[in-house]
Amino acid sequence: MEIITVIVYLSIYLGLFATTFYILSFISYSKKERKLYTDKELPAVSVIIPAYNEEETIAKTMKSILKSDYPDFEIIIVDDGSLDNTLKIAKKFENEKIRVFHKENGGKGSALNFGLKLAKGKIIFTMDADTTVNPKSMKNMVRFFGDKQVMSVSPAIIIDKPRNILQRVQYMEYLLGLFLRKAFASLKSIYITPGAFSAYRKSFFDRFGDYDVGNPTEDLEMALRIQYRGYYTENCPEAPAYTTAPATFRELMIQRRRWYFGFLKNLWDYRKIIRTKYGDLGTFVIPVALISILFSVIVVVYMFFRAIFEVRDSLIFYQSVNFDFSSLFNINLYVIERALFLFFSKPVVLFILFFMAILGFYMHYASRKIGKLSGLFINLILFYIFFAILFGFWWTISIFYTIFSKKIRWR
Amino acid sequence: MEKRKFENKNRYIISIIIGTFIFLLIFAISYSISYFELQRVSNLQVGVGYDIFKDKLDYSLFNAPICDEESFDKISQDLSFQGRIIDDLEKKLGKQNGDVLLRKQFYALIEMEHFEFIKELNQKCGKKVDTIFFFYSNNDSELKESEEAGRILGVVYSRNENLIIYSFDVDLASNLVDKLENRYNITETPMIVINEKTKVGVNNILEIERHLS
Repeated sequence: MEIITVIVYLSIYLGLFATTFYILSFISYSKKERKLYTDKELPAVSVIIPAYNEEETIAKTMKSILKSDYPDFEIIIVDDGSLDNTLKIAKKFENEKIRVFHKENGGKGSALNFGLKLAKGKIIFTMDADTTVNPKSMKNMVRFFGDKQVMSVSPAIIIDKPRNILQRVQYMEYLLGLFLRKAFASLKSIYITPGAFSAYRKSFFDRFGDYDVGNPTEDLEMALRIQYRGYYTENCPEAPAYTTAPATFRELMIQRRRWYFGFLKNLWDYRKIIRTKYGDLGTFVIPVALISILFSVIVVVYMFFRAIFEVRDSLIFYQSVNFDFSSLFNINLYVIERALFLFFSKPVVLFILFFMAILGFYMHYASRKIGKLSGLFINLILFYIFFAILFGFWWTISIFYTIFSKKIRWR
Repeated sequence: MEKRKFENKNRYIISIIIGTFIFLLIFAISYSISYFELQRVSNLQVGVGYDIFKDKLDYSLFNAPICDEESFDKISQDLSFQGRIIDDLEKKLGKQNGDVLLRKQFYALIEMEHFEFIKELNQKCGKKVDTIFFFYSNNDSELKESEEAGRILGVVYSRNENLIIYSFDVDLASNLVDKLENRYNITETPMIVINEKTKVGVNNILEIERHLS
């Protein structure tokens, strides 16, 4: 048996084991009782919005957060040396509840730290200037801080109005994240807080320090720091936050390279987390994530090159023998039967179909949480076609960057 | 930091059991599909064998016309499909699988019966159907060469309408195939015999086509 076949079946087996484990964890989540703040206990909140050249979106972001039904909150906008009209637009919203500041460009981490020093709330929301939220999101999220061990809460991040293929693929990826996040929450193992919109307990910053300036994924570093210090992040799927997805391949590649490089870098910095002392997180969740990445990179890269070489060889062969390509369309029932037989008698195909069915389960969950999903079917097809290749490609590039220690910045 | 508790250790064991069950179940389904297909080929073989036998008897006993294009096309298509599926099943279930070997042996007989039928058609109906006997081996040392030859013959077949290719595995335990090999003095594989006359290797498409009528 070829090594690649062994790797493929090992990754499938691991996938089945992990999927089953996460589904069981997901189911058990709803059975748990949680300490939640009542309306009367909700503490004061500060929303920090760092902005750099966001003149097109910042007004929409402001309007969305101002519609929030949260009883007591302030907004701190930190213009991080924008070269456009971001500051001018933000200033139009300024009042006693909304404060706008300008500083020299220093990156997202430095802008967030700037805002943290000025924040008066006990709970800090960090929000990207191209994100919008549901009016109920803040209240729903802050309730989870009723548990003293909870240091941050993540929302349900959704891609806003996906248009092209890349955005549609990302849209589905984010929806799938809703399911996994809840399963991870059940295990107290969320190790990523979305930069677009997340909530943190202010006392954690006071005790363990501000954001790591210069870190390519400062939000991920903070989530790992929370876990490392023995606290955890909760998940609130009833808090939708809509973000804009990169629309071009180049933009997306830059974003993913930063995320994945940041993931590897921060995980290396917090590698002590990978041990049984950290329960499910250190024993299962992070090791499985790392092995899955490794397997998917190997399998996707191998499959990709193999497919290219096979197509190339076939084209060369058929051209060399003056093959009549029109005969390829000479399809009869036997050709169809044989194609179906060859397709469905391959275990790998059946496994893929099984995992696709699981994705259907995820989708069912997502549609229940965020309401009607437009274009779900076509998005799912695009996701099936492109995601695995994109995922392997992003990770390969990111691993390359990590090995050769190329510097990657937020901006 | 205090040691963090596992949420539920039993969940790991349950997940391994369920995961393993699904893993094995999918393999079982995949093999079941292969066996269903084997069953289908087996039924198809009986059908083709019956049709050829019936047509031949009808002709020899009752002088029934055998030049009907429709029945010829149907039988030939069935035969070609069987050959390909048996080849696929061999790859999936293994060369030593008893059921597949039996199907291959039966298939070789039907090929010969079909060949005899084609000869009669050529003689009695004035048809010009070319035939190629393709002798191949699935031994590891010759497998790649045989597959390449099969690919070339596939192209020849697609370019020539009135051509039927009969494939014979020289390693098959079949007296009739052995006799056929001896008749054409086949000592190496892959090798083809065109229209019972010309014995050539499978290298050049144009060379093969030169020998077709």
